Amino acid sequence: MVRFEYFKPAAVSEALDIMRRFDNDAAYIAGGTDVMVLLRQKKLSVRALISLRNIRELSSLDGRFIGAGVTHRELQKDEHVRKRFSALHDAVCNLGSTQIRNVATVGGNICNAAPSADTACPLLVLDAEGLVEGPGGQRQIAIDDLFLGPGKTALAKGEILRGFRMPEFGETTGSAYIKHTRRNAMDLPILGIAVRVTVNKSDLPCRDLFCGAATASEILAAAGGDGLKCEDVRIAMGVVAPRPIRAKKAEAMLSGKAVTADAVAAAAEMSASESSPRDSVRGEAWYRREMVKVLVQRAFVKSIDRIVRPDGEVYPDRLW
Amino acid sequence: MKQEISFILNGEETKAEVEPHWTLLHLLREVIGLKGTKEGCGYGECGACTVIIDGKAVNSCIFPAVEAEGRRVTTIEGLLSKDGSLHPLQKAFIERGAVQCGFCSPGMIMSACALLAENAQPTEEEIKEGIEGNLCRCTGYVQIIEAIKAASGR
Amino acid sequence: MELTAVGKRIPKKDAPAKVTGSAVYIQDLVLPGMLYGKILYSRYPHARIKSIDTSRAEKLPGVRAVLTGATIPPFKFGVYKDNPPLKKDKVCSIRDEVAAVAATDPETAEEALDLITVKYEELPGLFDPIEAMKEGAPLIHEDHVGGKEKKPTNVLNMPWRLITGDVEAAKKEAAFVVQGSYATQWVTHCCLGTSGCIAELDTSNNLTMYSNTQIPYLAQRDFIDALGAFGMKGRRARIVQSVIGGGFGSKLDTYAYEYIAILLAMAVRRPVKIVFTREEEFLATSPRQCTITRISHGCGKDGRLLFREMEMILDNGAYTSWGATTPSVMMLPISSLYKVPNVKYTAKCVYTNNTYSQAMRGYGNPQATFAIESSIEELAEAAGFDPYEFRLINANEPGELTPQKFMITTCGMKECMSEVKKRLGWGGKRREKAGRGFGMASLVHVGGGARVYKSDGCGTIIKVDDYGKVDVFTGSSDIGEGSETIIAQIVAEVLSVPTDDVNVINNDTDVCPWDVGVHASRTTFVAGNSALGAAMKIKEQILEAAGQALSEDPSGLELSRGLIWARHDKEKNIAFGKVLRNIHYMSGGKMLMAEYFYDPPNENFDREFKGNLSVTYAYGAHGVEVEVDKETGRVKIINYVAAHDVGKAINPMLLEGQISGGGVMGLGYALSEKMDFRNGRLMNANYLDYKLLTAKDIPPMQAVIVETDEKDGPFGAKGIGEPGLVPTAPAIANAIYDAVGVRIKDLPITPEKVLAALKAKEKEGGPA
Repeated sequence: MVRFEYFKPAAVSEALDIMRRFDNDAAYIAGGTDVMVLLRQKKLSVRALISLRNIRELSSLDGRFIGAGVTHRELQKDEHVRKRFSALHDAVCNLGSTQIRNVATVGGNICNAAPSADTACPLLVLDAEGLVEGPGGQRQIAIDDLFLGPGKTALAKGEILRGFRMPEFGETTGSAYIKHTRRNAMDLPILGIAVRVTVNKSDLPCRDLFCGAATASEILAAAGGDGLKCEDVRIAMGVVAPRPIRAKKAEAMLSGKAVTADAVAAAAEMSASESSPRDSVRGEAWYRREMVKVLVQRAFVKSIDRIVRPDGEVYPDRLW
Repeated sequence: MKQEISFILNGEETKAEVEPHWTLLHLLREVIGLKGTKEGCGYGECGACTVIIDGKAVNSCIFPAVEAEGRRVTTIEGLLSKDGSLHPLQKAFIERGAVQCGFCSPGMIMSACALLAENAQPTEEEIKEGIEGNLCRCTGYVQIIEAIKAASGR
Repeated sequence: MELTAVGKRIPKKDAPAKVTGSAVYIQDLVLPGMLYGKILYSRYPHARIKSIDTSRAEKLPGVRAVLTGATIPPFKFGVYKDNPPLKKDKVCSIRDEVAAVAATDPETAEEALDLITVKYEELPGLFDPIEAMKEGAPLIHEDHVGGKEKKPTNVLNMPWRLITGDVEAAKKEAAFVVQGSYATQWVTHCCLGTSGCIAELDTSNNLTMYSNTQIPYLAQRDFIDALGAFGMKGRRARIVQSVIGGGFGSKLDTYAYEYIAILLAMAVRRPVKIVFTREEEFLATSPRQCTITRISHGCGKDGRLLFREMEMILDNGAYTSWGATTPSVMMLPISSLYKVPNVKYTAKCVYTNNTYSQAMRGYGNPQATFAIESSIEELAEAAGFDPYEFRLINANEPGELTPQKFMITTCGMKECMSEVKKRLGWGGKRREKAGRGFGMASLVHVGGGARVYKSDGCGTIIKVDDYGKVDVFTGSSDIGEGSETIIAQIVAEVLSVPTDDVNVINNDTDVCPWDVGVHASRTTFVAGNSALGAAMKIKEQILEAAGQALSEDPSGLELSRGLIWARHDKEKNIAFGKVLRNIHYMSGGKMLMAEYFYDPPNENFDREFKGNLSVTYAYGAHGVEVEVDKETGRVKIINYVAAHDVGKAINPMLLEGQISGGGVMGLGYALSEKMDFRNGRLMNANYLDYKLLTAKDIPPMQAVIVETDEKDGPFGAKGIGEPGLVPTAPAIANAIYDAVGVRIKDLPITPEKVLAALKAKEKEGGPA
């Protein structure tokens, strides 16, 4: 029988104290949408649950810092996140369900470290820096160093993720996250792709092409001539490796290069070769690898679209 | 060891002794005796257990009962007015054929209620998003969406 | 005459209780002294049980009884009587029940299960029916023999076979012939309310089952048989139905857990409740029958169908329930969807170590129609016809007697097809965009009862009280679709009272008359006609009594809105309520009560599976416009039209609910739902990985009601419960073919299958 004590500390220091008292035989619980499920499945057995839900210092949300305790719903409604961290906005709009988003936190999503965690790839491409606190004090850890494997993070036992320091991105940076699912709500991704691009200019005469109904490569081919150059790029992939990963070779291929259909297609191919998808109950390896090729290109086009048409959003005629 | 919590349930000050491992759903159904909220899956995957906590729709089957402390919780039983008249959503669900077996209805109505409280005139897309976490096997959602539209006055 | 109740969009009578949370489902029911039962399932899909040690479980405080196959009387249930409620020597599937516990609360019962130690000797599993059919395959049931030589075999003794005309001769004559193989998957009902029951024995061992069954009277018979086997012969069994949290056929048979509840109640002498968790619901309820089909179609140069040949293999799983009988319904579209003079159909059911199937909405029709309506388009293409025109050439018509001896009375097939074409804009704006396509499919289903048992009857008793309020006791049950409201509307129409004044009682076998059950979309037709008959009798009694009171000939009286008057002189009148009170407040008083048993004039199949199974047949057509994302294989539904010939819409609002609900269930069947079994184990026993459609997944849908006014139906109505999802899958498969030139022949049509097919096509050099 699952029996434990339940604590509701009001501060991070208090939470750390309780964890130390139980000699780390306790689990943190925030929104509970993962922990409560693990408890019910009898996959988690601890002597205490330490709730982070009521710790206000974990819930701060401003342009440079996202508290771990911020719910997906709060992120969804935040204007700065929508404009500057669009990939993260995409992720939280389609994560779980309305009920889940109302309580589930971004910190919980990351610390649960499922390979399919929707906020992971966006935070990876947005160069988030985790701020962690433990008995030994605070430390920073780059998000790329945070994920170790399925369900495993670089957090030491008992450490609490306080949140993420976010860079400042300007008008020439755009990002997108594409979650490939079987149904339009309450679904885990078959795979997920996030892209962030910084380009040399944000006004393009061919801007309307980017919201057209053609394929990604057709759009890029049509827009190719306008002297658009990729200054910096990040590509992250989820559910195609034991942890969310960046396609660093593909990034290197594109960085500093002109944005053309061929260049992006080559980067997409390279990303696919950097992935190691498996067959699982939720999807087949061959399909996942094919989708990396397709979705990297689409996410790229969407990122550019957000730069050149920052206020345009809806693509009624397009399937993606 | 049980903890005593105090919260507002359907507008009334309520005290309860809860075990740390209880879900809010268990507290409502098995201890307090409000059976209107249903368990459809126990994993937060179907929405049949949806209640409103501090204005937000929440799956009560994965919400720890102890966390209800100090919060405002509304269940389907809380929608009836004191004089017994139906909430506009309840009326609309009845009138538009949005209820077949009815097992999803309490949770569905609570999600719709939370939606309309925040967004009084939702578009069809916004309605679908509001109830995306509520599964229905009988209606195909069509008449449910119509009912929510009607209740919103559109 | 203007109808006042029938044809109106009247809200369901049970809706107010449901929207306020006051309806009592089995989950909500608590009886004094009640204990909670839990079941331990097998760890392997195929194994011998070497030993079971329940001693630790028995010692757990709160546990009141522990049962195993060895401690219960020998008993097997099911249509083939091959299923013991607790398995003794052997387990044949992962859902086999091995032990059961009754305890003071569900958590304790759950904990007790963990304390039961079962030692198994694992056996090789058979998960492919084709493998299981082979000579020398391991036997699932060692004592099962079959065939003419009565040899041990996994093939059931249910040699389904339908032959009309001469298929071999027709093959020679045909100008165009196509062949194909199709497969459909296991999908499950996913009722939001899980299965459950409470078994209660009184001091004389009479049983009351609080249950969700769709077949109260057949279940009653099953439980009486069980009581006899358990040493309580001659006892009564009463079924009291709580509000059901979804049916769709899932409660059309009895389950092991119900017998287990009875056995536990016997052991503890207290009511015992068993309610399934969601995982149990996926694992231990019986899904839709899966099929492997080979089909061949042939036609002449003029496009007229000449023959249809179909062979099916059905994975029967470990035990036998209604899944094995689905061929009897599959025969309906096979022999009679479109005019096809020569038909040959055979089906084999094979034991395996998989789950076993029973009834699910459509009962085989969706599976057969998927193959038929996909194959027919292949034939149309081979013969050079447009798919719509091809169907029109072969369409069924009113007054037709099909080769399986179905007498088609009304038939709205052409009207339904025409509605689909018109509303989709078929033929007009075809393929305005690459990747878009149109597809359609038709359906035929029983619409006027179905004599699958010896009886297809339903009884109704009506009584009227002193205030003009009517009580209707019907044998039929309401499984959420609103039959209670339909019956009230019919009675209200005849007696000219408000529907609110008609109370329908339908949930207690001690009180209600007999009905064979909620299946075959029969309730509106059969229970409706039964209620209509009883209402007419009551009306006669009322007019007779009024005639006496007014000294008028009853045939000269009108009854309307609470008043009865003489047609020739409106001043000679009497209020409804007064007539009723007068009837018993006098010497030699009478009661106002009538009963009527309606058993439709349809037929059982003869030995050749021929006969007019139903009084009338329901027709329909679905059409869909899709857009296929050629880079990912995902299919988006742009527009969906579902047209149904319903005879008469007694309640258009409820009818639309059936069409929408059926349509969305059909979309899931076509595109995303699948029970993922691997080596006999279910990998997706939850709502996350079993892909039901959410509100964000539904396409724009039009439900079109076509009324053909069936004279034998109550106010002209036919059934609608099942047709809603029969043609969905082939309509979508056809649209995908129209859009991108690939035909997916096994369900569900996932993005992976579409993409793989597109890539294969590209390799072969076809245009993308």
